[in-house]
Amino acid sequence: MTDGQGNLGRLLIVDDETQIVRALTPALSAAGFVVSTAESGEAALAVLAGEGAEVVILDLGLPDMDGKDVIQRIREWSEAPIIVLSARDLESEKIAALDLGADDFVNKPVGVGELLARIRAAMRGRERRFSAQPRFKFGDLEINFPARRVMIQGEEVRLTPREYQLLRILAGHAGQVVTHKQIITAVWGADSNADAQFVRVLMAQLRQKLETDPSSPEILVTEPGIGYRLHCDD
Amino acid sequence: MAQTGFREPAWLSRLDTPSRYALALGVVAVSTVMAQALFMLTGSNRIGGAFLVGVLFTSYLLGSGPGYLAAAVSFVIYNLYLGNGNLIPPHYRPEDIMVVLTFPTVAVLMGNLTGRVRDEAKRAHTRALTTAVLFEASREFSASDDPTVIRARLADHLAAAARGQAFVLDGEALTCVGGTPPDEVLTAARGLMQAPPAAGAGGEVRTVETHRWRVRLLADGMTAGWQGEPASAEEENLLQILADAGAAAKTRAALTVAKADAEARARTEDLRNALLSSISHDLRTPLAAVLASATALQEFGDKFDAKTRHDLTTTIQEETERLNAFVTNLLNMTRLEGGMLDPASSAFDLSEVVDRTKKRFERLRGKRKIACVLDEEAAIALGDPVLFEVALANVLENAIRYSPDGGLISLKSYPRDDRVVVEVTDEGPGVPEAELPRLFDKFYRGAAAKRLPGTGLGLSIVRGVMQGMGGDASAALRSDASSGMVMSLALPAVRM
Repeated sequence: MTDGQGNLGRLLIVDDETQIVRALTPALSAAGFVVSTAESGEAALAVLAGEGAEVVILDLGLPDMDGKDVIQRIREWSEAPIIVLSARDLESEKIAALDLGADDFVNKPVGVGELLARIRAAMRGRERRFSAQPRFKFGDLEINFPARRVMIQGEEVRLTPREYQLLRILAGHAGQVVTHKQIITAVWGADSNADAQFVRVLMAQLRQKLETDPSSPEILVTEPGIGYRLHCDD
Repeated sequence: MAQTGFREPAWLSRLDTPSRYALALGVVAVSTVMAQALFMLTGSNRIGGAFLVGVLFTSYLLGSGPGYLAAAVSFVIYNLYLGNGNLIPPHYRPEDIMVVLTFPTVAVLMGNLTGRVRDEAKRAHTRALTTAVLFEASREFSASDDPTVIRARLADHLAAAARGQAFVLDGEALTCVGGTPPDEVLTAARGLMQAPPAAGAGGEVRTVETHRWRVRLLADGMTAGWQGEPASAEEENLLQILADAGAAAKTRAALTVAKADAEARARTEDLRNALLSSISHDLRTPLAAVLASATALQEFGDKFDAKTRHDLTTTIQEETERLNAFVTNLLNMTRLEGGMLDPASSAFDLSEVVDRTKKRFERLRGKRKIACVLDEEAAIALGDPVLFEVALANVLENAIRYSPDGGLISLKSYPRDDRVVVEVTDEGPGVPEAELPRLFDKFYRGAAAKRLPGTGLGLSIVRGVMQGMGGDASAALRSDASSGMVMSLALPAVRM
């Protein structure tokens, strides 16, 4: 069709609205993906089990099953990045999808440019988490994981153990949303009774140490009602 | 024993207190006559028995007070006998003293006994009456959810129980029985409502007496007042309970109404949420396709071949048209609901409208075929051609969307009674028979429809405009072997 080389691997679009699939397919192919499509949850699982996919773009409103169930089924055996693309804009839906293991949540309508950026971020995040990079560096921020050292503009910043845990989980998912629940589990443990308010307080402390202007953060960005994102986009 | 051992004869129970004492004296007089007769017959003044019988009767029948009187008078008269005319006998014999002492003793014992029985019976009677009145009142109260009715019934019952007048004041609404109470009483009632006596502090005062009326503060900003014949403590108690029961009934009625309101609001809220999520989905899906296509062309336009570029611009065009159709439907629906749709009524040529509508769906139709058979007898209908096109387009679009590729959609018209019917038959999956009656409901979408885009507005608009033109729309399943729907649009025919 175009000069898409397929050098970024396979991408699966799961959406029952054919016009969306028709509109996205050429652009994603041109960007370098081999695009396969599925119109239902069962079909999506079949494609993943067969030819597989490096990235999944998933609509939540599918004719045969809820998109959240598809996320759950995929996560039983696959770690492929999942980006939810949905017209539902309920916060609870986004949180549920992210908690179930989706990597990101994009609202319809979305431009191809933003969608591709989210896909790249999700793929980088997976790569980083599974290849155990000892260092993270983006912009002014630098983290040395083995030494537990955090530098901002080359100067070391002293973090409390909890602040460091918070920064670590956000850096591990750099560019992606991390929900309050995921943060609480990582910082306080799964059976703690900490709530989103604890996260907000801890985040305020961390921003004081990392951000140039903590009142308009540029590194640690809030996703209202859902969680936080460590901003890293090229 | 208490309840049934003593029953006053009716004529006795009607006696007032002075008559009872008078009657006691009468009994003593009879005793004296009998004693005198005995005295004259026997010459003995040992005739205490006669008086004793009198005292016994008086105490038993007329109560303790008259009994004491009878005992006292009998004592004096018997003394006169014993003393041969002297009030204080010169000498008592022991048995005489015994007899004389027996009078008061018998009177006291008997009076106590019958008095207790009588009081008990009277209380039982009042209780039965109270229960009956309260039962009747609460039965009537609970039969209604209308505060006005409850107020009126409460005022009636209060007036009857007080044997006089009564009023119920609920906020500014006043209900009176037996005439309007004086202004001072109503002012007192309003005062009670505005400055309720402080609760607690050992027995709050909720009833005040003014101008011979009793005014009681009830729950929920209500007061009730009554005046009538002097009432016993029990009757007064009954009136208060009655008033409180009425207020409770009104509170319950108000709550019932509030609950129904809240449920209605919740249903409206559910409907609104369903509508919002449906509309946001139906607006965003075409928008998403348009935005994705447009940005794809922007970013990769020069990398796409001609066919891909054409596909993307076609998507933009189609989705924009879909959005436009959706917005038009929403507007039509809003106008229908607001009663702003004003159908013109004129004779028009059905075939023209059918042709126009068919052309609109050339592209959507794809490989499906549309066969038209229009009856000459039903060529002209009465109505608004523009609105009929809205209805027909909605029906035809459904038929196309639900038909398989290559399926046949047949459109035919025919006269039926004094109407012209246009029928659209498809080869789609049809709907379960149970869904048929709800197809035209607003926002209703059948199980099969959930897979296709749509709001469930289309068919409700169809029925709305058809009925607005004096026609109707109906749905049926195909009667032949194949699956599919038959949608009928009927308009008044033109009388030739």
